[in-house]
Amino acid sequence: MTKHKFKSKTLPAISMVGPVTIWLLVFVAAPLVYVFIMSFCGLDEFYNVSYHFTLNNYKRLADSNYVNIYLHSLVIALTTTVVCILLAYPFAYIIARTKSKKKNLLYMLVIIPFWTNSLIRIYGWRSLLGTNGWVNTFLMNLHLISEPIDFLYKQGTTIFGMVYCLFPFMVLPLYTAIEKLDGSLLEASADLGAKGPKTFFNVILPLTSGGIFSGSIMVFIPCLGYFFVADILGGGNSDVIGNLVERQFQSGNNWPLGAALSIILILVTLILVKIYQKLGGDMDSLGV
Amino acid sequence: MKRKRIVGVALSLMLVLSLAGFTGCGKKSASNGELNIFTWTEYVPESVIQDFEKEYGIKVNWTTFSSNEDMLAKVKAESAGTYDIVQPSDYMVEQMIAQDMLMELDKNVITNIDNIDSAYLDPSYDPGNKYSVPYQGGVAAIAVNTDKVSKEITSYDDLFSEDLKGSLVVLDDYRAVIGMTARSMGYSMNETDTDKLSKIEEKLLKLKDNVKVYDSDSPKNSLISGDCTVGYCWAAEIALAQEENPAIKIVFPKEGPYVFMDNWAVLKTAKNSENAMKFINYMLDSETSQKVSEEFPYLNPNAKAVEALGDDFKNNEAKNPPADVIASGEYVSNLDTDTLAIYDAMWTKLKK
Repeated sequence: MTKHKFKSKTLPAISMVGPVTIWLLVFVAAPLVYVFIMSFCGLDEFYNVSYHFTLNNYKRLADSNYVNIYLHSLVIALTTTVVCILLAYPFAYIIARTKSKKKNLLYMLVIIPFWTNSLIRIYGWRSLLGTNGWVNTFLMNLHLISEPIDFLYKQGTTIFGMVYCLFPFMVLPLYTAIEKLDGSLLEASADLGAKGPKTFFNVILPLTSGGIFSGSIMVFIPCLGYFFVADILGGGNSDVIGNLVERQFQSGNNWPLGAALSIILILVTLILVKIYQKLGGDMDSLGV
Repeated sequence: MKRKRIVGVALSLMLVLSLAGFTGCGKKSASNGELNIFTWTEYVPESVIQDFEKEYGIKVNWTTFSSNEDMLAKVKAESAGTYDIVQPSDYMVEQMIAQDMLMELDKNVITNIDNIDSAYLDPSYDPGNKYSVPYQGGVAAIAVNTDKVSKEITSYDDLFSEDLKGSLVVLDDYRAVIGMTARSMGYSMNETDTDKLSKIEEKLLKLKDNVKVYDSDSPKNSLISGDCTVGYCWAAEIALAQEENPAIKIVFPKEGPYVFMDNWAVLKTAKNSENAMKFINYMLDSETSQKVSEEFPYLNPNAKAVEALGDDFKNNEAKNPPADVIASGEYVSNLDTDTLAIYDAMWTKLKK
């Protein structure tokens, strides 16, 4: 009898949950554990990972030069997030409040760029913004400027590229939050004599803050790792933590140090998500 | 040596398409087995590989890499026998020999080694060319846009001049840039002495204000676009930039340049070692080598091919750097991990 029960209840459950569990164990948990272990390893004379315990990698991470780059990276991420909120909020508001067919059109404007690889789009910006690029040629032909503007290879360009890449990640959660907003609350606010700004700061903003939080998390975290934007548009002059990781796994040839840097990146991410949860953020709206 | 590290998705797509092409034509003539080659991207012409397949009836499976470290990691990670032939640079040959990864070359088959200029044989990284033969190489020279730069530039040391503020494109490669700085002070690219290294660091940091962009993938772009007026990059990149803008001139630093040489080598675990030897001999053939130079104008150690390429190639210093320049240069060699940590710290300081 018990045997029969096992077959009828457990087997279907295992067959449904099993593949996903195995997938997560093999492709998520195992690599993370491997990275964690590697971050405590050293190098042999041929720069291979040698499996003896050492804290050297973590000691090197505390070096002031690295710390400078972390801080710099956090500044870039913070600026990007703020700019994204300022640009995305009105945009998301317009999409959410548009009733006609235009709504789909506006929505697609955010989604379509996703269909092209971001690396290619970033290369595209490099040719557009170059000294002889389209933007400069256009402005010069209009006689608005006499000398080409130096757009590229600055920290500002890196931030521009990050904002451009991550803008949709801010728009979508904001859109969801604003969409859910109950119109009768706005009417109530107006009936009670509140003007536009007052309604916005006292009613709309608090009610959509969840969207702002989840959008910020989804913009801030990738910013720390988007090394290709810093490489291509920043010209290697404004490194982020991602550049440090990439360098150790590539030319630096020091995988354990790269692993330790990745662990730092993971820790920063976990701390941010924890703060987000503490502030009452909803894990579902992060898509995790 | 990360000159073509990031390859855009478009390029990968082209590669996939071209590989599909090879499988197609390989199947028709696969009577003499297979050969698995692993080369740099944008370095070996497709037509040359196709001709080899036709001539020898050997199916070639071609994979590419974009850095030496990448190649080494993949060779180690894949099961033994995945690759027969690899294309390591000088220091990587040394490293692979030390790790007992390379097979001795069969000089009875590779008779075309006689075509190679003796100046490139018996290198420090592989005495007697037991395990490797040179394919193509180059030097990291200086490009100057003479329309925009009036200052006369003759040395690596000149790159540190205050007149060049915000105008340089340099290789995004720490050994290349730190090595250049060392040579500008009369030191070796492979300096290990800590006192000298701290002096090098002091000078290196002065470069910060002059560098506008770090780019190893395609430094010619910022030279051609006019974003940068002076470059520290591979001579072959300068040759290509010159074709777009003749005002860009090449300068070989008087301190002697950073030199690299990429080589053919056979892995010890190769399953098709006989075909591999045939392939290497074919690549060293002067006609094949000529075709390679026509498409990828790097320094060609194949004396017979250079002779056949004519004066246009021979007299173009960017494509064919003079022998005395090469002789005055230096290869990068492998450093111990403690010294590398110092190099890494310097580089991080420069880029912070």
